[in-house]
Amino acid sequence: MLVAWRYRERKSLVQWFDPRAWFIFYGCFLASTLLFWDMRYLSIFALVALIVLLTSGVEWHEMRRPLLFIITFIFFFSFLTFLTGRGGVEVYHQEHLIKRLALPVTIFGWQPAINITWERTFFALSQLLRVFSLACMTIVIPYTINPAHYGITFRGLGLPDKIAYAIDLTMRFIPTFGRDFQLTLDAQRARGYELEKLKGGLIAQVRKMAPLIVPVTIHAIIASEDIIDAMDLRAFGVGPRTWLDTLEYHRRDRILIVFSILFFVAALFLSFFSFGKFWVPPIFS
Amino acid sequence: MDRKLTSITLALIVILAIFLLLVYVGGNVLGIERLKTGENPLLRFVFVIVGLLIALVIYYVTRENKVWEVGTREVVYMAIGAALYAIFSYLFNGTVFVVPSVSQVALRPAIAIPMFFGYAFGPVVGFFTGAVGNMFGDALTGFGLSPQWSIGNGLVGLVSGMALLFPDKKKSVNTVLIISVVLAVLATLVYFVNRTVPNMLYFAPEQNIFGDQPISAFAGLSAIIGLILVLAVRYLFRDNLDIAAAVTWGMLGDLIGIGFAAISDVWINGFPLGVAIVGEFLPSAGPNLIFAAILVPILVAAYAAVQRQSGR
Repeated sequence: MLVAWRYRERKSLVQWFDPRAWFIFYGCFLASTLLFWDMRYLSIFALVALIVLLTSGVEWHEMRRPLLFIITFIFFFSFLTFLTGRGGVEVYHQEHLIKRLALPVTIFGWQPAINITWERTFFALSQLLRVFSLACMTIVIPYTINPAHYGITFRGLGLPDKIAYAIDLTMRFIPTFGRDFQLTLDAQRARGYELEKLKGGLIAQVRKMAPLIVPVTIHAIIASEDIIDAMDLRAFGVGPRTWLDTLEYHRRDRILIVFSILFFVAALFLSFFSFGKFWVPPIFS
Repeated sequence: MDRKLTSITLALIVILAIFLLLVYVGGNVLGIERLKTGENPLLRFVFVIVGLLIALVIYYVTRENKVWEVGTREVVYMAIGAALYAIFSYLFNGTVFVVPSVSQVALRPAIAIPMFFGYAFGPVVGFFTGAVGNMFGDALTGFGLSPQWSIGNGLVGLVSGMALLFPDKKKSVNTVLIISVVLAVLATLVYFVNRTVPNMLYFAPEQNIFGDQPISAFAGLSAIIGLILVLAVRYLFRDNLDIAAAVTWGMLGDLIGIGFAAISDVWINGFPLGVAIVGEFLPSAGPNLIFAAILVPILVAAYAAVQRQSGR
């Protein structure tokens, strides 16, 4: 049995556009975000992502759990970056100290201390904006793109029939296997299996993962026989595929596509000429 | 289909050539700093193209072979593999379940999926499982920042699936074993030369470690430990060549795919080669070998039982 994403018809910005146009926009947005480390540029991205999220029509109670999870995750990682300056080493080479926090104790002659610098602060903020933009844009997709349109969307983007259908199936299988994994975990727990208390060395621990991974995988393969039969009965892959729904570009979609491509080209251009590198307000450095 | 593929390949080569020309002419001849090799996020896209070209070249050389045919079965297996890989890498990335780590090696068993799917269902399924699964896995976590790692994971599955290209299984396994031994030993030698490089993949916030601690001996030697495990599996199961072949080809896939991704960071992030190998390649490829050596045989054996039962 398939478990579906929580899609429904909504009045929203995303669904106003054709899904193909939206995926082109999404791809260009992601690729452009990767090119920048400058907070000023990244805040534009974050603003766009926030508008998309707020106009997506997805209600709070629907996306509360995944959203809170991702936000906690993003804050946690940015905080780690802030504490250590990890990752930042690649983009700045000089640090300006704001304050050095040190514990008043020494452990074997080593005093735990954190250097808080402007560079680290701004690097962490930039990272926060960056990951936030990506996460917001990604999280609305399962809620706002009709699962019945996944296949035709990727076909329409120029992928071959079979690959488009494989991606369609992948997106449908993910929530199903998530549920299967949970079921398997519960079943094994009922038999006394405890994922939280894996003991022993690395090799023993890996071996103890088998009771989770093997049943889920093998069950998926066995269950696929039905899907394969159903597809074969409908002559999958014999001739060029036809799709139940058709998608049509409207003027707004063409505008969005042209805008996305121009946006990406502009981003490439700016990044080529060294705009949008890591930035700290000049008064602090 | 074939003509289309040729044009795709040509387009990719042209884009790559333009990029390389820009880097060469702009960076080395004209001396524009931005275009010099070193830290350069633009190159992510170049390495995606390079990885795709590697896959296409492997296909082109052996295109006559039947393993490249994609039917209904393969389409469904691709989707299953990718979805499983995405789910497992999301669940075991250390945020959903807190999985313990043993001397800097975290438990990330998901890599067994592309290896197994590649070996059992062919290189196309393997490549799709690794590449698309990694992409979706990143999307579930909320950040997909390194497309070249997706391609690297795809190569893991592709190489694992190349086992089916060789009719003489035993001979090919032994050749692959020798190549992998050489690669693993080379990487470990690099570790002995650069022993103070931080393990960039190890985080333990409660101990104030954020990917900046010198790599532990266990993580540094993990490729060799994995190699020993794989050799052990190879000789313990010498009567069941299927298991031995799955593990050895998986090992080669891991070394090549992860190696591709880690070495591309030499240009993308400007890491010195030693840092890329010791800080990124060893702590991810080495433990992968350990997971693969244990989980892939179990999966292969379980799948063989299913096949016997269903008669397919």
